[in-house]
Amino acid sequence: MNSNMEENERGKSSELQDNILLLREIDFFSGLPMEVVKLFAYLCFRVTFKPGQYLLQQDEDDACAYYIISGEVELLRQENGLTESIRRYGADSFLGSLALFSPVPRLFSLRAVNDVKCLAMDRERFSKAVKQFPDIMPRLTKVIAERIIAWERHFILKQHDRLPTFDSTIGISLI
Amino acid sequence: MPKTSMPVVKRPLSSWIFAENTKFQLLLLAVIVITVFARVLPLEMQKRIINQAINLRKLDLLFIYCGIFFAAVVAANALKFTINILQTLISQRATASMRKALYEYILTLPLSFFRDTQPGMAVNALVNELSLPGNYVGMAVAVPVTNILTLLTFAGYLVYLNLSLAAVSISIYPIVLLLIPLLQRKANQYNKERVDLSRDLSSRIAESISGIHEVQGNGAFSIENRKFESLVDRLERVRIRWSIYRFAVKVANNFFTGIGPFLVFILGGYLAIKGRLEIGALVAFLSAQEKLYDPWRELIEFYQVYQDGRVAYQRTMTYFDVPVVHQIHPADRMPYALDNSVDIENLSMVTDDGIRLLDDVSLALKPGEHMALVGFSGSGKSTLALCIGQLYKYTSGSIRIGGQEVADLTKQDIVNNIGFVSQAPFIFDGTIEENLLYAQRAQRMDQNPDGQGADPSLDDMIAVLQQTGIFADVLRFGLNTIIQPGENPELVEAIVRARDKFQRQFGHDLSEWVEFFNEEKYLFHSSIADNLIFGTPNDPAFTSDHLIENTFLRSFLREVDLDRPLLTLGAELTIQTVNLLKNLPPDEIFFAQSPITSDELGPYQSLIEQLRYKKLHQLGDDTKDQLMILSLRFTPGLHKMVALPTLLERLILEGRDQLKDRIAEEMPNAVSTYRVDQYSHSQTILNNILFGKTQSQAPHVQERISQSIVQLLIEEDILEAIVQIGMKYQVGSNGDKLSGGQRQKLAIARAFLKASQIMIMDEATSALDNKSQSRVQNIIDNRFKGQKTLIAVVHRLDIIKNFDKIGVMKAGKMVEVGTYQELMERKGILYELQYGRK
Repeated sequence: MNSNMEENERGKSSELQDNILLLREIDFFSGLPMEVVKLFAYLCFRVTFKPGQYLLQQDEDDACAYYIISGEVELLRQENGLTESIRRYGADSFLGSLALFSPVPRLFSLRAVNDVKCLAMDRERFSKAVKQFPDIMPRLTKVIAERIIAWERHFILKQHDRLPTFDSTIGISLI
Repeated sequence: MPKTSMPVVKRPLSSWIFAENTKFQLLLLAVIVITVFARVLPLEMQKRIINQAINLRKLDLLFIYCGIFFAAVVAANALKFTINILQTLISQRATASMRKALYEYILTLPLSFFRDTQPGMAVNALVNELSLPGNYVGMAVAVPVTNILTLLTFAGYLVYLNLSLAAVSISIYPIVLLLIPLLQRKANQYNKERVDLSRDLSSRIAESISGIHEVQGNGAFSIENRKFESLVDRLERVRIRWSIYRFAVKVANNFFTGIGPFLVFILGGYLAIKGRLEIGALVAFLSAQEKLYDPWRELIEFYQVYQDGRVAYQRTMTYFDVPVVHQIHPADRMPYALDNSVDIENLSMVTDDGIRLLDDVSLALKPGEHMALVGFSGSGKSTLALCIGQLYKYTSGSIRIGGQEVADLTKQDIVNNIGFVSQAPFIFDGTIEENLLYAQRAQRMDQNPDGQGADPSLDDMIAVLQQTGIFADVLRFGLNTIIQPGENPELVEAIVRARDKFQRQFGHDLSEWVEFFNEEKYLFHSSIADNLIFGTPNDPAFTSDHLIENTFLRSFLREVDLDRPLLTLGAELTIQTVNLLKNLPPDEIFFAQSPITSDELGPYQSLIEQLRYKKLHQLGDDTKDQLMILSLRFTPGLHKMVALPTLLERLILEGRDQLKDRIAEEMPNAVSTYRVDQYSHSQTILNNILFGKTQSQAPHVQERISQSIVQLLIEEDILEAIVQIGMKYQVGSNGDKLSGGQRQKLAIARAFLKASQIMIMDEATSALDNKSQSRVQNIIDNRFKGQKTLIAVVHRLDIIKNFDKIGVMKAGKMVEVGTYQELMERKGILYELQYGRK
C-alpha cells in the first residue's frame, strides 16, 4: 500500500495535503504540532469570492477567519454613511482570527477586489478542534499577545516620527 | 381513587398497598382463602386413603379419594398461578405509580437541588430502587395472609391430629422469631449502604459520560477509572455482606424448621411403638408438619422483601425530600391572569455562604414597558431575571407582578403569565415543530389534562419562524429532505416545473457554485457510485446500501478493470481517514467530511494492520468488500484526505457509458438516468430543483442560492409545503443537530408563539447573527411595546437604545436606571461600558 501512497503524492496531491502546506505558512498555526495542523487542515474549507463580495461585514459577527490564497481584498470602514478604504491585502494574508476565540462584532468590512480564493476556518470547528488538544491554547494566546504588542510597537514608532506627543487613545497593548 | 395531597416523598410505604389496588388486593384475598382450603384437602384425603380405603380394602372409596386428591392438586396449582399473576399486576402497578409520582415530584424541585445532583441519581432512583418496594406492595396482602392462614390451618390440623406432637413441633417457631430480626437488622444496614452507593455509582457514570469530551480530550482515562473502580469495589464489598446476612437469615430459618421432624420422630415413634398412635396418623402428621415449612419459609422471605423494600423506599424518598418552594397548581382558585406590571422593592438574594448576588434592588415597570438590564458578567443581571421568573428564590425584599408577590404565586400562575427565554435554551429531542409548540402544549395540558385543543395554525407558526429568522434554516432542512417515491405527488410535479424555471432564471449566475448533473462530466460532489450509475435506482439492488451485494455491478466493475483501482483507492481512504480521526470523539463536525462514519471507525481501524503487510490480492473477500464500500462512497469534493487520480476519473466516466448500455441490455428499468423532466427520489428536494449539487459550504454562497430558491418557491407556491417538511426535521438529543444560533431562534420563536403578557429574555439573542438580532428587535419594538412587558438581559449595547428603561447593574446593585439618552448624558457607568474608560 505504501508504494501506492507515494505514487499518489507524486501524481496529484489531496486538498488536505495542500491545506497543510498552506497552514504551515501562517504564524498562527506554524508552531503547532503536526497532528494539530493536520486536523485544522482537515476542518478548514475553501471559499471563493467574486469582485465586490464581502468576506466580513462591519458590525457583524461572521465567526470566520480567512487565509487568502489568491486575489486581493480591501479593508473598509463605514462612518456616518461614508465608506473609507483603508488598505489592501494580497495573497498569504491571514485575517480575522479574533472571531475564532469569541463572538465579536467586526469593526471593519473586508471586500474582494478581484476574484479571491480563500481558506476559511469558523469558530465552531476551531473551538471543537482546540478542545481536542487543550495544550495548544497557551501557544495560540501567545501568538495573539505577540501580535498585539508588535502592532502597537509599530504604531508608536510611526507616531513618533510624526508627533512628539502621543494620542490619548494609545495603549491597546495594556488590555 | 382518592388523590392524597401529601407529597410522594412523605408517603409511607404502606400507603401504596391499597392505593389504586383495593379491588385487586381483595380479589387476591378471596383467591387465597380458596387456595388454603385446596391445600389442606389432599392431606385429609391421604389419611382417608390409608385408613379407610386401603385398610378397609374398599376400592370405590380409593377411587373417590384419589380423584378428590388429584382435583385438589390441580386446583391448588391453578390458583397459585392466579395468585402470581395478581401479585405481579399489583406490584408492577405500584412500581409504576411510585415512579410516576416521584418523577412528577422531582421535576418540580427547585433549581438549586439540581445544581448538586447528578442526573444519574434520579435515573437510578426511578429505574432501579423502586422495584424492591414495588415487589413488597405486590406481596403485602397476599403473602402474609395466605401463609399465616395456611400456618394456622395446619397448626390447627396438627392439634386435631395429635396435641402433644403438635405442641412439640410448633415450639420451635418462637425461637426463630427471636433470632431472625437480629440478623435482618445487620442486612438492613448493608442494604442502606448499598442504596447510597448505587446512587453514587450512577451519578459517577452519568458525570463521566456527560463530560466525555473532557475525559477523552485530556486522556483522563486512568483518573476516571480510578474513581469508578473505588466505588465499584466498595459496592462489591457491601453487596457481598448484604447477601451473606440475607442468606444467614435463610439458613437459620431452615436449620430450626429442619429440627421439626427430628422431634416428631422421637416423640411420635415412641408413641407408635407403645401403640398409642396409629401409623396412618403418624404419616399424616409428618406430611402435615412438612407443610408448615413452605408457608413459614415464604413468610420469612416476605419479611426480607419487606425489609429490603422498606429500606430502599425510605432511602430513596428521603433523598428527594426537599421542600418544594412553589406550589404547582393553586389549590382553591383558577390560575391568575395577572396585570403585566412589575414592581421590585429592596430585593436581595444572599447565598448560604453570605455572598450578596442581589443587593437592595428596586425598580418599577408599568404594563407594556421594556427594560434592558446591562452590566458586566457576574453583576447580577441574570440572577435578577431568574428571580422575576421564579426560577431563583430571593431572600428578602419583594417582586410583585400585577400586585401579586412572586414568591406566593404557584408555578402555573407564572407559566400562564410569563414567557421565559434563557441564555442556553434547552431543545428537546424531537422535531422542530414539537419544540416550537412545547410551551404552548405544556400550558394547554396543564389547563386540561387531555391536552385537547388545537395547535396554532400553520400561518401562525410560519409567522414566528420568520420573526425570529429561523425560517431560512427550516426551509433549508426542508430542501435537504428526500421525498420517498409515491409521497406528495403534487409537490414532486411542482418541483420539476420549478427546476426548468430555475435553470432559465438563475442557471447562468449560479453555475460557478452548482455542479449540474451533466452526463459528459465527472461530478466531484457526488460519490463514485453516483458517478457510475448516474441516475435514480428503481431496483433496490442499485441503492447505495445494497451496491456491495449487487453481483451484476461487481462483475461489471471487474470486467471494465475498475475493480483493482477502486480497491486501491478504498485502501488509501482507510489509511488516511483512520489516521486522521482515530483519536477524535464521534462528533458530527469531525465526521461530516469523512467517508467512514463514527460507528464504522473501529472496524476500519482494525483493517490498518492488514493493509500495511498484505498485498491487495492477498486480502480476504470481506476486507475487499469493506474497501469497495468506502471507495464507492468517495466524493472528491467532500472527502479531501485523498485526491481522485486523473486516470481513475477517466475510467469512471467511460464506465458510466458502458454501465448505462449494459443496464439497458440486461436489466432495463433498474435505473432511470437523470433527466431534466424527471424527479429523482434518490436526491434531496434542493438537488432536484438545482438539478445538481452545491459545491461550496461557504455561507455567502449558501445564502445566494437560498435567495434564488426562495424567490422561485414563492412564485411556484410551494414555499409553505417545503417549510412544513422542514418543521419535521429531527433536532437530535438536546437539539445538537442545530447550531447555537438556531437553538436560540427556536426558543424565541417558542416564546413568541406562546405570546405571554410578560417576557423575560436572558441574553436570549447572544448567539444570533445581526440580521436575526435586528429582526427580533424590530418585532419587540413595534409589536410588543406598550402591549407586553419585557425584561431583557442584554450583553450587546448596540440594541438597547429603544428600550424604555435601562438598568445598569454592578456587583448585585442597580447603579443606574434611566432612558438611553439620560444615561448617556449623565456620562456614568453605561457611558463607560459603551465607550470604555475616559
